[in-house]
Amino acid sequence: MSQPNRLPPPWGLLIDRGTPVSFTFDGRRYEGYAGDCIASALAANGRWLLSRSFKYHRPRGVLTMTGGDANSLVQLPGQPNVSADRMPIAPNMPVSAQNVFGSLDRDRAALLGWFGRFMPVGFYYKAFYRPGNAFRFWERIIRRVAGLGRVDLDSRPGDYDKAYGFCDVAVVGGGPAGLAAALTAADAGAEVMLVDEHPALGGSLAYARFDADRATADRLRSDLVAEVSAHRHIAVHTDAVAQALFADNWLPVTTGNRLYKYRAGAVVAATGSIEQPAVFRNNDVPGVMLGSAAQRLLRLYGVRPGRRAVVITANDDGYGVALDLAEAGVAVGAVVELRAQTGDGPMAAAVAARGLRVLPGHGVTEARASRGHRHVTGLVVAPLAGDGLPAGAGERISCDLVCMSTGYAPDAALLYHGGGTLAYDDDTATFAPATLPTHLHAAGSVNGRCALDAVLADGRRAGRAAARDAGHDAGPVPDAPPDPSAAARNHPWPIFTHAKGKEFIDFDEDLQVADIIDAIREGYDDIQLLKRYSTVGMGPGQGRHSAVATVRIAANATGRDVNAVGTTTTRPPVGPLKFGHLAGRAFDPVRRTPMHHRHLEAGALMMVAGPWLRPAWYGARTARDGAVRREVRAVRTNVGLIDVSTLGGLEIRGADAAEFLERMYTGAFSRQPAGRARYALMTDETGVIIDDGIACRLSGQHYYVTATTGAVDGVHRAMLWHNAQWRLDVDVTNATAAWCGVNLAGPRSRAVLARVCDDIDLAAGAFPYMAVREGTVAGIRCRVLRVGFVGELGYEIHGPADHGEALWDALLDAGQDAEIRPFGVEAQRALRLEKGHVIVGQDTDGVTTPHEAGLGWAIAGEKTCYVGKRATLIQQQAGLTRRLVGFATVDPDAPVPEEGHLVVRGREITGRVTSAFRSEAVGAVIGLAYVGPEQAELASRLDIKIGKAHTIEAVVVPRPFYDPENRRQEM
Amino acid sequence: MAQPDSIGPADRPRRSFLYRTLDEAGARFVEINGAAVAVDFGSAETEPDAARTMAVADLSPLPRFGCNGRGALEWVRGQGISIGDANNAAYAQPDGGLAARLADTEVLVLDSLRGSGTAVHRIEAAWSSDEASGAWPVNRQAGSFWMMVTGRHAPAIFAKLCGVDLRRGTFPPYAVAQTPVARVNCVVVRADLGDTTAFHLLGDCAAAEYQWGCLLDAMREFSGRPVGIGALWRLDQGKSPA
Repeated sequence: MSQPNRLPPPWGLLIDRGTPVSFTFDGRRYEGYAGDCIASALAANGRWLLSRSFKYHRPRGVLTMTGGDANSLVQLPGQPNVSADRMPIAPNMPVSAQNVFGSLDRDRAALLGWFGRFMPVGFYYKAFYRPGNAFRFWERIIRRVAGLGRVDLDSRPGDYDKAYGFCDVAVVGGGPAGLAAALTAADAGAEVMLVDEHPALGGSLAYARFDADRATADRLRSDLVAEVSAHRHIAVHTDAVAQALFADNWLPVTTGNRLYKYRAGAVVAATGSIEQPAVFRNNDVPGVMLGSAAQRLLRLYGVRPGRRAVVITANDDGYGVALDLAEAGVAVGAVVELRAQTGDGPMAAAVAARGLRVLPGHGVTEARASRGHRHVTGLVVAPLAGDGLPAGAGERISCDLVCMSTGYAPDAALLYHGGGTLAYDDDTATFAPATLPTHLHAAGSVNGRCALDAVLADGRRAGRAAARDAGHDAGPVPDAPPDPSAAARNHPWPIFTHAKGKEFIDFDEDLQVADIIDAIREGYDDIQLLKRYSTVGMGPGQGRHSAVATVRIAANATGRDVNAVGTTTTRPPVGPLKFGHLAGRAFDPVRRTPMHHRHLEAGALMMVAGPWLRPAWYGARTARDGAVRREVRAVRTNVGLIDVSTLGGLEIRGADAAEFLERMYTGAFSRQPAGRARYALMTDETGVIIDDGIACRLSGQHYYVTATTGAVDGVHRAMLWHNAQWRLDVDVTNATAAWCGVNLAGPRSRAVLARVCDDIDLAAGAFPYMAVREGTVAGIRCRVLRVGFVGELGYEIHGPADHGEALWDALLDAGQDAEIRPFGVEAQRALRLEKGHVIVGQDTDGVTTPHEAGLGWAIAGEKTCYVGKRATLIQQQAGLTRRLVGFATVDPDAPVPEEGHLVVRGREITGRVTSAFRSEAVGAVIGLAYVGPEQAELASRLDIKIGKAHTIEAVVVPRPFYDPENRRQEM
Repeated sequence: MAQPDSIGPADRPRRSFLYRTLDEAGARFVEINGAAVAVDFGSAETEPDAARTMAVADLSPLPRFGCNGRGALEWVRGQGISIGDANNAAYAQPDGGLAARLADTEVLVLDSLRGSGTAVHRIEAAWSSDEASGAWPVNRQAGSFWMMVTGRHAPAIFAKLCGVDLRRGTFPPYAVAQTPVARVNCVVVRADLGDTTAFHLLGDCAAAEYQWGCLLDAMREFSGRPVGIGALWRLDQGKSPA
């Protein structure tokens, strides 16, 4: 029969009976309804066994129906550790059990349960650490046996994203207190964000009973939800978890595949309370569940949780559970009341009126289960001789369902995150907020209010206070309402030890009472140490259902009160969080020059250069050497064109512009004539080279300074930082993106440029090396720099970026007859190496000084100050410990060393290679390397280690390697 | 409404940083300010509706002018541009343009959607090399992309891309935010078109294609799409070119 446990309407608030959904669990097909979660659909079909426990592989089933425990974890394709309590079923969804050997029903690892006595708390630490490498062996086995789900390394990443959110008041929890708080705050004019982890608002109104005939909850829920949904000042997120509360009311909220980053003016935590399991032998077998779990199955999913039930209670809510079960047709074998007297509330009276059997002053000896602990078959109860002490053999009551309603703990994670504290009241056995920071308010049962009127009033109070905190006129804030009923909600000791054990405190970690006691006996009596040694509260439930029992046992075992024992630290996240949520959508800006697409069209292989993409060479990836050689040859013998738009461009303007450059760079600029360019070297306060470029004086108060591609943003920041102190009359603008740039280089570059530039006199005498001119190139207003980075006659042409492609096209057209060739970064590096030019960042490192790099000539010694001057002087006086030298291999056919290859002298490392290249123009392998000062003299021999047993011989040679008289670039 | 004749996307030397992307999406171009601007994407009649919901348009070729320096405010005011006292605010100009005051030392002048450039070109011509003013031009025309993000979902897509609260109630018309958008430093100016929420977005031109992709990705959730400037003219009632 399909869905034998499904109840008729009106049971089942969340399910749509008109939409059947078929799915599989461990290969067997089941039917449910849209709105069902995996666990409810399986339960409707009589399938209660969901998982195996972490350590002993004991059968586990529905415990909480909130997703707050490991019992309900299942495997989906590509997604381990999915909560069957929360994950909606979908058509043909293949669900499987995880952490089983064989099958879920016949898990071979269940044999471990027989050896439980040999696996006491901390046995990992004691058993597997000797001999030395033993743990490596055992670790694999332990991980295999004790693992949870399987990570599918082949699964495709999903689409996750993040969004910022803003609100005046964030209300976490859509139960009666949260709904009341949201409405009150919104009525005061606050923009409210209401977040609830469940698919429908209402919280406990959706499933709990509240009064004997359940006359209030449905109507109240319907009214409040309708009002909230219609309120224009309230935004609602359901199926969403407020994962944390950080400083300044920063709330990460996950829903679906999105992480919202909410910033709120004030926060109301109306997170409710968490029902706690009673502790007794075999309290973990399927069929034993929280009373609220049974009510959720009934009311939310229309699923009958059993045929014959026993309810263990110590408060009025347990009577509500019994009434719900009875109304659903479940036989209630008994209500086992831990208190000495039967409850005196209306629901207890209704239970009596129904003639249900109540056993006041009784406790639990053990639950009995079918073979293999597959399902509960009965509960042995007995009169209590004291807290936790059933007396005598007791009575066995047959049942297939045991509901536990013996107390609650506030769901206080956000209060802890926000800096609040909780205290334990010994008289009422209740944790409640003791202190809360400003702008954080607790409302409802998390604040110790349980009666519906008090919960609503407390919600309104908190909503008003939060609206006021967010700057709205919300009127006077009343005191928190009294709630005498809250005092009778928690039993102080719902813990029944058994000589044979298996009274589970922490279902996630398979920890029993004896484990906690043993850990304390071994000296781990501090609650933080106890947690770490025993791992209590470290499973997926994060102590939701184990922390209260643990501190009670620790207090009892150490003779302290619960407040003295304290609680462990509650850290984010509140609920399961995927790495995808944390990663979100990746924003990785890519900068492209205006000529980018032209490079692609020309077959360039693009390389990453900081945030930019640049052509490495024009040709296939596998054709590097040939392509670079052709490009180098074109520049040396003819004409080439390279896109240098990525070079930094800084506009330095103002009356103090020259003085500013004098201070920022090592060189002299105040007497630099307009129309001239100078090399500019920048050091930091420690005298270390951080950048270089060309400073072009365009007018008396205007310099255009280039910077290296990767460093320009840092240089710009440094300039602003320094001038914030110097307060010179200068404006510094990073104009990098505004200017495109090309370098037209080679002996025929003047002729090519002349074809598209008629308003600049290009003659060598009129436009000499290191001069700057402004004019038009192909009708585009440009700055033209005669610089020679590659060692040939050349023009660096800077134009407006939105004309970049047209400028590129025009120059290539103009050079067509001259067989102009575009060249890439690799060729440029080779060309500049032949000229012996240093690339900052490649031939310098984080400690290179100008004198080490052979750039002492770029320092204007007569200047009174520049950033790094004092350090440079000190370094100079102390003497150099290394120098950058040019080298050529003795064997012209020697392999080319790579950057970072070591210069050695015997077994001693004396330096390293920074650049190397097989130069056609020089006829040798040439390069730059740092060496000790004693090796830096010309003609010194160097051994360069290029492999484990391979050393090549080189000799120190003068720089530049090519055209040492600079005739070619100054022609 | 009369519109200029169509031209090819790369017919002029000044080109939008996005012209290829727009062309591939089916844009039809007209000449404004000496460059090709996407006027529509083949669905001129429906694009205004799309712009009311969620859309992005490329305005990169339209005239704009930046000015930095201790004398920037006074100098720009001296050119007849109305600028108020608050930073991070934009001030409407009689010709439909805007002057965004970014700091005490920084002004950004945006032309109207007509793109005639009358005011911008006048200011550019006026500056010449008047170095004594303490005002220095910034080439926003070449250095920045200029997009317009429109529609009722615009604040929601910005919420996915930047950390500033741009909701209608908290980021009023003519408010200015200088903030990373998808990790690209941008200037955001709210400038509604009639009753349609709209934001000017200007940022590093080298990241234009990246930013365009981020916007389209973010607006996919709201069925957002690119529209031409023609749709903006329609929404900006009475301000379309004659």
